[in-house]
Amino acid sequence: MDIDRLGRPADFLLVEDNPGDVRLTQEALKSHKVQNNLHVVTDGEEAMAFLHKQGKYKDAPRPDIILLDLNLPKKDGREVLAEIKSDPALKTIPVVIITSSEAEQDVIKSYNLNANCYVTKPVNLDQFIKVVQSINDFWLTIVKLPGNPD
Amino acid sequence: MNNFDIPLAVNACSTDDLAKLQVFEKILKGNVEAILITDTRGDIEWVNNTFTAITGYPESEALDRNLGFLFAGGNNEYAALYPKLGEVNHHVAETHMFRKDGSKFPANVTLSAVRSSADMITHYVLEFSDITEFKHAQDELQQRTRELSRSNQELEQFAYVASHDLQEPLRMVASYTQLIAQRYRGKLDKDADEFIEFAVDGATRMQAIINDLLMLSRVGTRNVAFTRTDVKQSLDKALANLRLVIAESGADIVCEALLVLDADGSQLTQLFQNLIGNALKFRGDRAPQIKIGAVQQDGDWQFHVRDNGIGIAPEHFERIFLMFQRLHGKREYPGTGIGLTICKKIVERHGGRIWIESEAGKGTTFLFTIPIQQAE
Repeated sequence: MDIDRLGRPADFLLVEDNPGDVRLTQEALKSHKVQNNLHVVTDGEEAMAFLHKQGKYKDAPRPDIILLDLNLPKKDGREVLAEIKSDPALKTIPVVIITSSEAEQDVIKSYNLNANCYVTKPVNLDQFIKVVQSINDFWLTIVKLPGNPD
Repeated sequence: MNNFDIPLAVNACSTDDLAKLQVFEKILKGNVEAILITDTRGDIEWVNNTFTAITGYPESEALDRNLGFLFAGGNNEYAALYPKLGEVNHHVAETHMFRKDGSKFPANVTLSAVRSSADMITHYVLEFSDITEFKHAQDELQQRTRELSRSNQELEQFAYVASHDLQEPLRMVASYTQLIAQRYRGKLDKDADEFIEFAVDGATRMQAIINDLLMLSRVGTRNVAFTRTDVKQSLDKALANLRLVIAESGADIVCEALLVLDADGSQLTQLFQNLIGNALKFRGDRAPQIKIGAVQQDGDWQFHVRDNGIGIAPEHFERIFLMFQRLHGKREYPGTGIGLTICKKIVERHGGRIWIESEAGKGTTFLFTIPIQQAE
């Protein structure tokens, strides 16, 4: 279904410092029928370098969707979110906050910074897989995304 | 000559009146509080024995003096109290007073006015007691309360942080053992399948316990101030949360608690939900019949949640309120055993107590009280 909508496999950017969660996300997306390209960076600075195609990321694709954890080393996820959503070249990319924090202030702050949505990492494996797959289905097969401004 | 010259008064009275006057004077002289009577200027006309006992001034050294000498603020302190008597009958205040030896003591002072039949003030009456011991006890109590409160807060923070920070590593253990189970089931040998099963089960139970600890610690840390709460609304919310179990068990639930009181509404909902949930869970073979009501008793609302389930033997009444105490194996009835601990904590936070009436096989009634008026 992804390929029908976009005409090609989708590019995910996962910004997550916990290798256990990175692997789980990979497994969750792998078990889905359609192929996606999952790019992973493990801190906020790498995330911005990827998005600005700097240094080793000069050939990086523009992601169709960003999965962003809030608690990241070097540059915090909230800062990354703020920078993405204030950059005209990047702000149309859907950003899904996926974090273990249930704190009300984190939810409010994220939406105030224009996160497209906020998801709490489920404790249960099956639910985690379901959530990642739902994100995939919703944002890439149901939702209409703006065309690439390049 | 002041008005309290007893011998002069004798000549004007009969023997009966004299006897009465003497009794009254004896009572006042020996009153547990010190008593001073002054004229409208504050000059002392009469003192009782307790005055001397507390201050060390014999009667002769107090009469005809203005009472300012007793107070740290001198005359001004007295003058400050005087205007308040216009509106009220007496004025009570805590202040400091001086003894003859120069030492100071904390005193509880009551000032009142005596009026003539023409409603003019003729005398002032000052009553006081030495509250040194009382103040010590009060200070100790305040200090102990502060320490306890601090200690409580630390414990609750600890519980919250511990459970919160345990979630992530636990998520890793639980998720990956489940992944292994899913991906390699039947591909390794039978022992491996069993081992993985035990690991997954352990991880899942750990998650449940940590969730419960978090819930329990939140009862203490997420305190909102009490507001006027409609008990029926809290009840309805609890029943709505339980609607699936209610439907599938064919339960008949009767609620007769129509009252409003000061409480934390969401905690009340949690309380009812746990108690009614238990009544539904431990129902035995019959369709559950649950009655919920409240009566006024000794200044409290006394609630009851009564069921016709399997009952509880009296020797277990105390134990089941402790954390993670269960009376059944997890295969017989699910649950971690934190529900009643949470109930107890909520009830105690509201200033009440919770207890049980039951017999094995004869249904259970949970009773709890909440004061009709919350203490300030």
